Amino acid sequence: MWKKEDAKPQGAVDNVATPAPAPASKASAATPASIPLSSSALPVSSRTPACISQGIRIKGEVTGSEDLFVDGLVDGKLNLTNGSLTIGPNGTVKADVYAREVIVRGKVEGKVTGREKVQLWSTGQVLGEVQTDRLAIEEGALLKGKVEAGKQPAKPSETKAAVAVATTKTSDTAALSSGTAAG
Amino acid sequence: MFRGRWDRMRGRGLRGHPQWAAACRARRTRVSNGLKELLWNLDGLGKGNLLDLGPAWQTTLSFFIERGFRVSSEDILRGWKGFLAEEEARLREDASAIESLDMTPGGRAVRFLNESLQYPKSSFDAVLLWDLLDYLEPTLAKQTVASLTELLRPAGVVFAMFHSKKPEGFQRYRVADSNTLQRISTPVICPAQKVYQNREIQDLFGRYRTMKSFVSRDQLRETLFIK
Repeated sequence: MWKKEDAKPQGAVDNVATPAPAPASKASAATPASIPLSSSALPVSSRTPACISQGIRIKGEVTGSEDLFVDGLVDGKLNLTNGSLTIGPNGTVKADVYAREVIVRGKVEGKVTGREKVQLWSTGQVLGEVQTDRLAIEEGALLKGKVEAGKQPAKPSETKAAVAVATTKTSDTAALSSGTAAG
Repeated sequence: MFRGRWDRMRGRGLRGHPQWAAACRARRTRVSNGLKELLWNLDGLGKGNLLDLGPAWQTTLSFFIERGFRVSSEDILRGWKGFLAEEEARLREDASAIESLDMTPGGRAVRFLNESLQYPKSSFDAVLLWDLLDYLEPTLAKQTVASLTELLRPAGVVFAMFHSKKPEGFQRYRVADSNTLQRISTPVICPAQKVYQNREIQDLFGRYRTMKSFVSRDQLRETLFIK
């Protein structure tokens, strides 16, 4: 008998408990099917990477420290200090690019600096310089320009500091890793 | 040993098996005395600059970068194909452009080279030319070699390959190790234009002081030119 509440349909309980909705809410309640659809289409999580989607054109400087997906056009400068930058298959970037990791599936004209890694997918095109620690190139990718891979020698000021702190450590001039891509 | 494994797989009907595919890939390698000689020439150079005129292969770039080279990559054949397609599209849109543009092979070569191979003079220690001269229009091939000669420092090396007869398929090359190249069959980018005779090759590279050739069984001559 005390389980009567559980036996009731959930919707009926809610209808009883909730106060009369405002007119705007009424409209949304009339089309309940649209609610989950729209909520799934919108990025609700704050951890979802930011996106410059197809058809959007940005002229100027884009800076940040989070991940970014570019499938539109960026003309200027792109600087993600600690984020990962993905240039989608429809993306075109006419800019010097700096990020922790850069994945190129579209077109980039400019200097690409990936602090940890640069990946060129088969649809990727880079016209400019590539500077990174690790480089992965998939078969079919187009690269026109200079490539500098492997750990870069530290800047003079950094070198002095490193020597002062730990004299026993030798600088690591690690070679380019083979990466995951074919080719 | 390899042949035995190959035959055993063929006998067992393992076509399509991953091991079969791997064996097929392995078979498409060739020993390259030219590459070996190139590396011998570059030995002790330290941090050199290398220009790779083939497609950007991970293995080739890694190979030279690991040896301390700064590599510049420019796929000339793809660039040439793209250039021709662009010009064709431009002429379709604007028929009057045909009067203003020099459409002779020489004129086209000049326009193409104004967009390509834009590097400072004497900036490279070595150039990987592969077999692309066979696929370029002879006028463009001649002008390309002239441009490369400007880009190469004195005593710099060009590694080129020439087919002894018209190639049947279209292949591209990448470095597997210090004396092995991998041949990769790809869709034709440009049809073969010319089979160069020794005399013609010497004329093309007339400004180079040394030429060393290696002829292999697969009708491919590997040649090193030292400026």
